[in-house]
Amino acid sequence: MEQNYFLLGALVTPLIGAIVALVFAYSNRLQRSIAVLAGLIAWVFCIALLAQVHDSGVQTYALGNWNPPYGIVLVADALGSLFAFMVTTIMIGGLLYTYHSHDKCMTYPAFIPLFLLMEVGLIGAMLTGDLFTLFVFMELMVLASVSLTAISDDQYGLEAALKYILISSMGTLFLLLGIGALYATFGTLNMAEIARSLLTGVRPFLAPASAIMLLCAFLLKSAVFPFHFWQPDFHTTAPTPVSAMLSSIVVKVGVYGIIRLVTLLFIEEAPLLERWLSTLGIIGILFGSLGALRTYNAKRMLAYSTFAQIGFILVGIGWGTPLALIGAIVYAFNHAFIKSSLLMLMGVVASFTTTKTANFADISGLGSKLPSLLGWLVLIGGLSLAGIPPLNGFISKLTLIQGGVDRADWANLIIMVAAGILTVMYMVRAWQRIFQQNPLPGAVDTKDEGDSLFAPLLLIVVCLLLGTVLAEPMIQLISETVRQLGDAQIYISAVNLPPPA
Amino acid sequence: MIEFLFALSIGTLFGIGVFQLLRRDLVKAAIGFAILFSAINLFFVAAGAFEGEFAPYVSNVEAGRQTSDPLIQALILTAIVVSFGSFSLVLGFVNIISRRYDTVDSNDINKLKH
Repeated sequence: MEQNYFLLGALVTPLIGAIVALVFAYSNRLQRSIAVLAGLIAWVFCIALLAQVHDSGVQTYALGNWNPPYGIVLVADALGSLFAFMVTTIMIGGLLYTYHSHDKCMTYPAFIPLFLLMEVGLIGAMLTGDLFTLFVFMELMVLASVSLTAISDDQYGLEAALKYILISSMGTLFLLLGIGALYATFGTLNMAEIARSLLTGVRPFLAPASAIMLLCAFLLKSAVFPFHFWQPDFHTTAPTPVSAMLSSIVVKVGVYGIIRLVTLLFIEEAPLLERWLSTLGIIGILFGSLGALRTYNAKRMLAYSTFAQIGFILVGIGWGTPLALIGAIVYAFNHAFIKSSLLMLMGVVASFTTTKTANFADISGLGSKLPSLLGWLVLIGGLSLAGIPPLNGFISKLTLIQGGVDRADWANLIIMVAAGILTVMYMVRAWQRIFQQNPLPGAVDTKDEGDSLFAPLLLIVVCLLLGTVLAEPMIQLISETVRQLGDAQIYISAVNLPPPA
Repeated sequence: MIEFLFALSIGTLFGIGVFQLLRRDLVKAAIGFAILFSAINLFFVAAGAFEGEFAPYVSNVEAGRQTSDPLIQALILTAIVVSFGSFSLVLGFVNIISRRYDTVDSNDINKLKH
């Protein structure tokens, strides 16, 4: 079996980075450089992987040379490598933000190793071909992000972290139950082998039940209604780069898992799951947008907005046609870039206040004291999130709505377009309050120096490049991905299983 | 018979665990967390423990008889490690929260509520 070492490299580089960073715990500057270096190397590996998958099909790596289904196998198919590329790219933004940031929590020796471990969890969850390993990587990601939020400069971070870890453990429980049910039924945890058994038309008693349990666990990780209530607190109180990662790529792990469920594992149960996804997605769109409209804090507004945007993606998956799935993946891709850069921008705004707050009451009218580039970036990011034509958000909304028109699901389409208008409202209003108003009496004191704008600027430039100038190759790449997802046999035959007994 | 008793005890542990997790007292909630994970571990045992009669790899198995499933044991070991990590993290959080808020009643730990 062909071993692809890029797969191992992408996974292990951040892990080694975390260990090396722990060794150099005495020098914070050195730790941050190691982190950026590890992130860059992992990114190069992921790009190489994406190119290889595009050229010569699905890549695999059997850990310890144990052939599947006995050993754990890492699989990079088109979807996994695309998501891993997205994760590593945005992670570089987060690590660069950390490099220039002045927050106190980032000087703790554990911060950088935990941040890198979160990256290991994210990449691992997207590249593994084994359900139990998926659970381990997701748990690694959760534990790392919870610890990072608990040591946040925001004094309420601990409360949000405790809330999330208790809820997330319930989700983990369902994931484990689903995995155990599948193991009891099929005697294997290899996703390709389970998919092969399910494709033959055998419908064991436990299959729909474990489909629902896995779905619930992934919905919880993506903060979808009715599992969303921890999300605004958790994403608001996390340190800025962490909250940017949480709200953009960590929620995408759930999206990735759901796409895997409906396209690889439970193809026959997919209509049942998809009906739920559409409904829950629409609820998320409505309440997320309305919640974002009336919230009191800029970061919290973006967290609610994530709740709504994940709804868009889920509705796209719920429509179930290839066209809608292309829309959903393009949307997920663009949302990750835009949301991470917007959260970092709000973090920069907050870093200019003495109390590091993002409450609208405090930061209204702060704009005159901030770099003028910041205002423009917030406006561009906000309009892009809302899907205003020349920007990349428009491309993603257009592809998604095309999928909806294709399905002729008019009621949901009307709600989605209306929610787009709500997005314009809350983003433009936030921009106006920060950059156009005069300061309110009793506003907080400002500092002369805040965090660097470099990382969000980089992310916005990359996403505008990918989403507008390079939109066509990107959509072609994603169409190719969806075509590959349409045939589960491609994934299954790449894993090189022994013939069925 | 043993299967039935096993199912019953897993179900009971789940019930106790969920009930404890929903208590207002955070320490009790943390204990519920641990109970739930033991329930899951037992569930994994039930998924493969009663198949074989011999320890895998080390026993000389006569033809036609089965060893028990070694993978299950690896899975449970991993699950125990993961749940132990989360459990200690939860206890650590509860410890700091009890000092910072002077209570472990989840109704009074509501600074995030506006």
